[in-house]
Amino acid sequence: RLSSGRRRHREPEAEGCPPGVGGSMRCQQVSVLYFARSAELAGLRSETLSVPRQITSLQLWEEIVKVHPRLAVIQDQVILAVRQEYVLLGDQLLVLQPGDEVAIIPPISGG
Amino acid sequence: MDESADMPKDFIKLKSEKLSVDEVSEIVISPYYGAVSLFIGTTRNNFEGKKVIHLEYEAYTSMAETKIKKICRDVRQKWPSVKHIAVHHRLGVVPVTEASVIIAVSSPHRAESLEAVTYCINTLKASVPIWKKEIYEDEYSWKENKECFWANSEK
Repeated sequence: RLSSGRRRHREPEAEGCPPGVGGSMRCQQVSVLYFARSAELAGLRSETLSVPRQITSLQLWEEIVKVHPRLAVIQDQVILAVRQEYVLLGDQLLVLQPGDEVAIIPPISGG
Repeated sequence: MDESADMPKDFIKLKSEKLSVDEVSEIVISPYYGAVSLFIGTTRNNFEGKKVIHLEYEAYTSMAETKIKKICRDVRQKWPSVKHIAVHHRLGVVPVTEASVIIAVSSPHRAESLEAVTYCINTLKASVPIWKKEIYEDEYSWKENKECFWANSEK
């Protein structure tokens, strides 16, 4: 299909970040935190991942699922927290800084 | 008497030790005001016919504290006469009948503190990143608050 000639934004290339390459222009180290069911599925509580600096929230989730495929089963019930703000999985464009905290947030049950 | 010396304060604590109603009440009591309202959430021993052995809580602690501070700010905006607010939430294992959360609010008269406590617990359940696992005899279940907008309800 022909494009209309005008895009809302350029789709960021979420090809992943090659290890050992000085790709710091495009890739960023972020801390990923896992809680509750997501920690059980991923088998860990936290790690550092290298992800594209500009990425949608859905693409970020998909990068994480590439590392921990068992997380796929909860995709319909999680949101993320990026720099301690909740983000739905979707088109929202994130601009990540080095050391940013990304948390996997299954449905909450405090109180 | 210098009322301004008793500045409104928020007391937020996430801890694994047993919570104390006396301690939380005493934190918010002010000699200048006449009302303290309290909510205590305790562990039930049953869920849908299954026996609950205990609950286990975990939290994204730094974000949970930030979210609770925001709840306190919102309370003060909606009920400006509220004096002190205390929110204590237990983490780790909580045995049956023990408290998992205690919220206390002081105010000059009872209407504001009663409403503020209700708002606090309702908003906590909808927005604070804390998770509860219910442990039964043979299995366990991660609970989901109905207030949580990203939980699947009855699919």
